[in-house]
Amino acid sequence: MFFPKEMTELELIIPAKDLLAVTRVLSGHGVFHQTDSNYPGAGPNTWPEKAAAYASLERRIQLVMQALSVDEGQPPRSDYDAMVEVETVRPAVEQIEDEVKKITDQLAGERKRLEQLESALHHLEPVEEVNLDVSQLRHSRYLFSMLGQIPTANVDRLQTSLARVPYVFLTLRSDAQKPVVWLAGTQSNADVLERAARSAYLNPLALPEGYRGTPAQIIKTLHGEIDDAHRKIAELQVSLEKLAESRQQKLRGLLWQVHTSRVLADAIVRFGQLRYTYVITGWVPTDDLENLAQHLKSASKEILIETLPTKRSGHNSNVPVALQQSKFLKPFQMLVNTYARPRYGELDPTLLIAITFPILFGAMFGDIGQGLVLALLGWLMAGKKVKALSSMSSLGGLIAICGLLATFFGFLYGSIFGFEDARIFGIELKPLWISPIHHILDILMVAVAAGVVLLIIGFLVGIFNYVMSQNWGHLLFGHNGIAGFLLYLSLIGFGVSAFGLLPVSSTIFVVLAIVSALAVMFSEVLIHLVEGHRPLIDGGFGTYLIQAGVELFEVVISFLSNTLSYVRVGAFAVAHGGLSAAIFILAELAAGGLGAFGYWLVVIIGNLFIVGFEGLIVGIQTMRLSYYEFFGKFFTGGGMRFEPLALTPAKEEQ
Amino acid sequence: MPKTGVSGYAAISARVRAMYSSLLDPQDMTRLSDAPDFQSLFAQLKQTAYGPYLDSLKDKEITPRRVIIQIKNRMADAYNSVIHMAPEHTRPLLTQLYRYFEVGNLKAILRGIVTGSSSAAALPLWERVRDVLFPYGSMSVLPAQAMVEAGSVGSAVELLHGTKYENALSFAMKRYSAEQNLFPIEVALDLEYWRELWREAKKLPGQDREQALRVAGSLIDMNNLMWAIRYRVYHQLSEEELINYTLPFGYHVRDEDVRAIAAGADIAPVVQRIYPGIPDVNALLDEPRSGLPKLEIELKRYLMNQCMAAFMGNPFHVGIPLAFLVLSDLEIQDLTVLIEAKSSQMPDEEFRPFLLKTVTAKA
Repeated sequence: MFFPKEMTELELIIPAKDLLAVTRVLSGHGVFHQTDSNYPGAGPNTWPEKAAAYASLERRIQLVMQALSVDEGQPPRSDYDAMVEVETVRPAVEQIEDEVKKITDQLAGERKRLEQLESALHHLEPVEEVNLDVSQLRHSRYLFSMLGQIPTANVDRLQTSLARVPYVFLTLRSDAQKPVVWLAGTQSNADVLERAARSAYLNPLALPEGYRGTPAQIIKTLHGEIDDAHRKIAELQVSLEKLAESRQQKLRGLLWQVHTSRVLADAIVRFGQLRYTYVITGWVPTDDLENLAQHLKSASKEILIETLPTKRSGHNSNVPVALQQSKFLKPFQMLVNTYARPRYGELDPTLLIAITFPILFGAMFGDIGQGLVLALLGWLMAGKKVKALSSMSSLGGLIAICGLLATFFGFLYGSIFGFEDARIFGIELKPLWISPIHHILDILMVAVAAGVVLLIIGFLVGIFNYVMSQNWGHLLFGHNGIAGFLLYLSLIGFGVSAFGLLPVSSTIFVVLAIVSALAVMFSEVLIHLVEGHRPLIDGGFGTYLIQAGVELFEVVISFLSNTLSYVRVGAFAVAHGGLSAAIFILAELAAGGLGAFGYWLVVIIGNLFIVGFEGLIVGIQTMRLSYYEFFGKFFTGGGMRFEPLALTPAKEEQ
Repeated sequence: MPKTGVSGYAAISARVRAMYSSLLDPQDMTRLSDAPDFQSLFAQLKQTAYGPYLDSLKDKEITPRRVIIQIKNRMADAYNSVIHMAPEHTRPLLTQLYRYFEVGNLKAILRGIVTGSSSAAALPLWERVRDVLFPYGSMSVLPAQAMVEAGSVGSAVELLHGTKYENALSFAMKRYSAEQNLFPIEVALDLEYWRELWREAKKLPGQDREQALRVAGSLIDMNNLMWAIRYRVYHQLSEEELINYTLPFGYHVRDEDVRAIAAGADIAPVVQRIYPGIPDVNALLDEPRSGLPKLEIELKRYLMNQCMAAFMGNPFHVGIPLAFLVLSDLEIQDLTVLIEAKSSQMPDEEFRPFLLKTVTAKA
C-alpha cells in the first residue's frame, strides 16, 4: 500500500522450438513487462515483417468492421492464444472484404452520383428563369462559355489573369467558399480563357451530354434522378446491414485471432535472437513470479530462468512501477498520477493524499447540507446513475468523500446550507467546535498550525525517500533533507518561543538555525563531497558564494510561503460563511418584493452557486496545497509505467 | 481585449530568447561541417542542444533519415512550447505557421501513394512514407496511415472530409482526376496555406501585425518569387496560369512584380529591385539549373537576417517567436544538408555553398 509492487527482473533463455509456447505464457498472464533485448547484427529475422503483416491484416479487418458498423465485441473467453498464419486467415478476410467492397463501392458510386446531381441542381437553380437551351451555349460557334464553381479566394486572381483578353465574368450565386460563376468570351480567345479558368480551379458544371433544354426542364429531370439515387442508396444500406448481421461473428473471431497473433509477433520482435535460442528480458511483480515461472517451465522443459529481485533502495529508474491500491483509493491514485507516477522505491503518497485531501477540502467547505449535496453528486457520478454525469465517473468517488468530510466539518462549524444556529427537528444546531466567521483569527492560526504539521510530515517522508534511494548527500544537506528540516524546525521553534508559547530559550533555535542554514547554503559543495563529485564548485568561488546566498534566501522564503499558504484553509472557511451571509442578505432583499417564495428561491440558487462555484475553487486550492506545498517536500515521481504484455485490451489496461 | 506588450509577452519573450541562445552559432556549424564523416557528425551533434533527441537512438537506428527525424522532433517541441506559451490572440498565426509541416506531410503522403503504387519495394508503403513525415504530433488532422493504406489519391483525400483541407482539395481533385498529376493539388494546398497565413497575420493588432506581416510577408515573398521564376523557367507556363498560381501580396514583392515576370519581363531587374543585396543575379539566372538553387539560398539568407533583426529593439511582440521558429526551421535545413552531405561523402566545396549559416572554410 505504501510502495509500488516489488518487482523482479527476469531473463529467460529459450530454445527456438519453444518460442511460441513461451510467448503465449508471457502474453497470456498480463504480468510480464517486456524490455527490448533485440540487438543489431543478430542475423536474418523475419519477425518484423510478420508483425507488420499481422498489423496490416488487423487494420483491414477493423476497416471492414467499421464499414459494416460492427463493434469488436468482448474479448473471447476461449483460448485465443494461438498464433495463426497470415496466409490461413487472409483468404477469409479477403472474401468478406470483397463482399463488403462490392456493396460499398456501389454505395459510394450512388452517393457520388447523388452528389453530382445535387451539385448540378445547385448550379442550375440560379439560372432557372433563363429561357435558353443550355446545349446551345455548350455548342456555340462564336461564344466561349463556362458555367461552374470556383474557390472564392481565386475570383480576383482569375480576373487579373485575364487582363489582356475581353471577357464577361458574372457571379450567379454568392457563396462563402464555392460561388457559382459564369465566364464568357470569344471563341478566338478560348485557349486563354480555358487555361485561366483551369489554373484558377474553376470547375465547370458537370452536366452530362444527355441533358438538353432550358434550365427549368433540366432541373425537373434532375429531381427525378435524385429521388432514384436516394432509393438505391437505401436499398444498398439494407444489404449492408444484412451482410453485417451474417458476418459479425466471423469478423470478431478473425479480429481476435489476428490481434493475438500481432501481439505475440510484436513481443517476439523485441526478443534477442541467437542462433538456436532466444533471450527474453523484462520485469514481473515478485508476487506473480512463482506462478509465471511454473507456467513457463511447463511450456518449455529446457528454459533457463534467471531472476534478479530488485531492492527498493538505490537507483531504480529503469524499473517499471505497478501501483497497488484498493478500490477505495483509486480516485486518489488518479490525483497522484496526474502529478507524477511514483518511482520504484519511492513512497507512494496515495494513502497520505487520501487522508489529507478530503480533510483540507472539508475544512474549507464545511457545511452539512452542501457537503451532503456534494456527496450525493459524487455518489451519482461514481455509480454512473445519471447518464449526463457518467463521463466524469472517475471523479465521483473523490467528490463523494470530500462531500462527506465537508459534512463532518459542517457539524464542527455548525453550518447547514449556510444557516448557522439553525433549529432542525427541534434541535438547535450549535458548532461542535468553532464558527469560523465569528472566530477569524483562531481559525487562521489553526490552519497555519495544521500546515506546519503537514509540512513536517512532508519533510519526514522526504527524508525516508532519500534513505530508501541511498541518496546520502541530499539526505544530509538537501533543502528537503535533514539540514532543510532542521532549518525549518528551528525557524518555527524560534517563532513560537519568541511569542512565549514554548518554555525553551530562543537562543537554542538561533544556533540551530545558523548551523542548518550554513549546511543548506553550502549544500552543493557538501553534496558533491559526499558523492565524490569533482570539482566541488562549478565556476569561481565568488560567484558560488553569491549564488549560495541567494539560494539560502530562496529556501527560507519558500519555507515561509509554504507555511503561510495554509492560511487559505482558514480563509476559505471564513469566506464560505461570508458568502452564505451575502446570499441571505440578497434573499431578504428579494423577500421584500417577492415574499417568502423569493427568499427561498434566492437561498436555493445561492446554495447551488456555492456548491458549484466555491466547490470548484476550494477543490483547486486543495489540489494546489497538495501538489505544491505538500508533494514538493518529498515526492519526485517520474516512475516508468508498468505495461505488461497482454492479449486482450482489458488486460492491457490493468 | 488581446494581451499585447509586456504583460502578454514577458514570459514567452524570455523563453524564446533562452531557446534562441541554444540555436547553433557559426562556430558550431563550422565544427559540424569539419566532421570527417557521418558518424563523427552524429557524435558532434550529440554535444549540441540536439543531444537529448539523439540519445534515444540505438546503434542500429543511427541512419541519416532517423537522425533527421530526431532533430526535427526538437523543432516540433519548440513549436508546441511556443504556441502553448504565446498570447491567445497570436496562437492562430503560430499554429498556421506550424501547419506548413502538416501541408508538407500531406504532400509527402500523396506522393508516396502515387510513387508507391508503381514501385516494388520490399518494405510496406506506410513504413517508407512514415520515415519522411515531419513528426507533427497530436495537432495533426491527417489520418496518415489510413491515407497511405487507402491505396489511391482519391480514397486518401476522401479521408480528409471535415478538415480544413477539404475545400481546397475538392477543387483540385477534379483536376487531378482529369490530369493524373499531383501538381494542381500541391499548388492548391500551397496557395491555401500562404493565404491563410497572411490572413492570420493581418488580423493582429498594432505592433504584432506589423511584425507578423514582416516575417510572414518575407516568407511569402521568397516562395512567391521562386514560384514565379520556376513556373516560367522550368514549367514554361502561360501568363494567365502563372498569375493564378502565385499570390498578389507579400512584404516587398508586389503583384506588379509577379505580373511582370508572368508577362515575360526580364527577371533579373525585378529580383535586384526587391533584393538589392544579392550579387550577380544575372549570372545566377543565366544558368537556371544551377543558378536557381543558389538564388533560393540567397533569399533564405536574406530571410534569416530579417528574422535575426527581429530580436533587436522592443522584444514584446509576436515577431520574436515567429522569427525564432523560422530560424529553427532554417537551422534544420542546414543540418539536413550536412547530414546528407556527410553520409554520401560529398566533398566540402560541393555542399558548403548550400549552408545558410556562414561556415569558415577548412584551412
